[in-house]
Amino acid sequence: MLKKTAIQKISDLAAELLAKGTLIAPVKESAGFNFREISDSGQVDFSFYNTLMSPKSAFFPQTEDFVRYDKNKSVLDAQCVDLNLKPIFLFGVRPCDVKSFEIMDIHFSGTGAVDPYWKKRREATTIFGYAFDLKTPADSADFYSTLNIGAADPEGSDIFMMKKGDGLLLKAITPKGENLLSSLGSLTEASADEIKYFDDTVAAGRSFKTRFTCVDDKVIAKKLEDLFHKTEFWEKISDACLSCGACTFVCPTCYCFDICDETLFAAGVRRRVWDSCMFTDFTMEASGHNPRTKVYQRLRQKICHKYSFHIRKYGVISCVGCGRCTRSCPVNIDIFSIVDQALKE
Amino acid sequence: MSINFKQIEDKLKTEARKLLEEGKVSIVLAYGKGYDEKKPMPYVVRKTSDIENIVFNEYCTANMARYLVRYPRGTKIAIAVKPADSRAVVQLIQEEKVKREDLIVLGIPVYGMKNFKTGETIDSKTTCGIYNPVLYDILLGEEVHGQPVVSPYDVLVDYEKMDKDGRWTFWKKELDRCIRCYACRKACPMCYCDPCFIDQNKPKWGEKSPESQGNLMYHLTRFHHLAGRCIDCGECSRACPVDIPLYLFHKKVAKECEEMFGQAAGMKIEDKPALVNFRVEDSDKILE
Ligand code: SF4
Ligand code: SF4
Ligand code: SF4
Ligand code: SF4
Repeated sequence: MLKKTAIQKISDLAAELLAKGTLIAPVKESAGFNFREISDSGQVDFSFYNTLMSPKSAFFPQTEDFVRYDKNKSVLDAQCVDLNLKPIFLFGVRPCDVKSFEIMDIHFSGTGAVDPYWKKRREATTIFGYAFDLKTPADSADFYSTLNIGAADPEGSDIFMMKKGDGLLLKAITPKGENLLSSLGSLTEASADEIKYFDDTVAAGRSFKTRFTCVDDKVIAKKLEDLFHKTEFWEKISDACLSCGACTFVCPTCYCFDICDETLFAAGVRRRVWDSCMFTDFTMEASGHNPRTKVYQRLRQKICHKYSFHIRKYGVISCVGCGRCTRSCPVNIDIFSIVDQALKE
Repeated sequence: MSINFKQIEDKLKTEARKLLEEGKVSIVLAYGKGYDEKKPMPYVVRKTSDIENIVFNEYCTANMARYLVRYPRGTKIAIAVKPADSRAVVQLIQEEKVKREDLIVLGIPVYGMKNFKTGETIDSKTTCGIYNPVLYDILLGEEVHGQPVVSPYDVLVDYEKMDKDGRWTFWKKELDRCIRCYACRKACPMCYCDPCFIDQNKPKWGEKSPESQGNLMYHLTRFHHLAGRCIDCGECSRACPVDIPLYLFHKKVAKECEEMFGQAAGMKIEDKPALVNFRVEDSDKILE
């Protein structure tokens, strides 16, 4: 099913979705676009390239409360935080980011232990993927082609959208998307021409090029394993690294978190908060020993986790080439260049 | 007069080569090629074969003084510094984090640097706005003269018009956007504590989650830890992925400090950090 609307009328579509549930879409903020819950249908802005922060927070917010407690009361009075979700519409997700959800599913629901918060949010959400504009060159930090992701790949989305002139085409990809799409009155049927345009664009997206280097999963995994003890290599690539958390916080496939109790006077909450392997205290043990005291050990962990350990354990690279880490790095450390360099070692 | 970046780059290469070949230093902290011409990186030169990768262009904004404390004491280091960066070196010497005799300072007189994320020109609004390094052994280029002298505190005009409540609202709104990635403290040459107070959990000084309470605790404490020490390079604000104008607070505190104690941070090696030093004639305003 292919439907369409005019970009100008996007607020009508947004209003319809708002009436059905929660709408999360890119909103312009001071430092760039970010996915935010929309309260006014006029807020949806389609002039973004990609968001500063990844859309992972729609399923894995930076702070998630688990239990609320009061230290003056019995443990039995502690309240588990339950999620009561309305249907969620995650609007305008780029193909590389859509791909990241599949990778994150491995950790939050694919290996036996299921994270109920991730799962509930995932199930409540309809994903509206959104093709990159093939007429605009890719940002110099992007490299999703390297990871075999097309600029207009619909897989993984429930509904996939692309621009055509000043119109927006929307195609149902899954039954969930089909149900929703058929219920949206602000959309009209697309013509045969438009159907052809849609398919052609998906195909053209496959040959659209971002930065590219040939990366074979097994080759890079082995390469990094072999390089693991070559300290000079890691020292050199991490000379500039500040060991902050910017790259991992903006990354759609970084999933580390910490569980902490935050108490004010007696009332408190046990919550999870994003953590980062780039932080000095990430591996700090209760004894006071820290096995990763050097910056190179931490950056090596980040790179090897994504491009080696993750492949060995789960069979896939844990990076989608969205370029966010590179764009947000205060000192221009670029994961693509590091992988490229490793391959040449 | 305009800055000849290429010439500075060439001189940087020549000096780096000389210093390494003569065995005067074991590393040179400079700038090197990044993934894109507009994205140079902090670069550590260890061997003469590293020299060809040195670059210096208008996007080389990083403050290399930030890396000094990473190397064991006694390491002989040559460091390339722009004007504000040289003040960080001076401040670190004052704080006895590095020794003057272990350093060879390669000064770069410069203006018109650009923020590599936004392309904006960096001037006295977001940095200290001086044109010549305050400390150097070798100058890579000619001293800059004849450029307008602008107070680094001029940018505070609008900020200072706000009353107490206005400022509180302003900072609460700005700091609520913080994602606690800590790029600001990590980019800061004066934030070298290990561990930083906010990473401690016994006692726990602030909440870990990116919400008002913990954010205010982290930032207000950091701002005050930098009182009389911030040399106004502006790197914290440029490092911030969400563009929080941290420099405004730092400038305001620096201005008050300068007024109270008659000295700006990192200007002279002989100075003592304002809040460490005690002089009978010091202003009591800080206690009010
Ligand atoms: S590692 Fe970088 S490029 Fe890869 S998914 Fe994460 S943010 Fe995107
Ligand atoms: S790679 Fe960049 S963003 Fe990541 S920790 Fe290092 S300096 Fe920070
Ligand atoms: S914020 Fe304070 S404790 Fe933390 S690194 Fe900076 S000066 Fe040190
Ligand atoms: S760099 Fe910005 S977002 Fe990160 S901790 Fe500092 S103020 Fe917060």
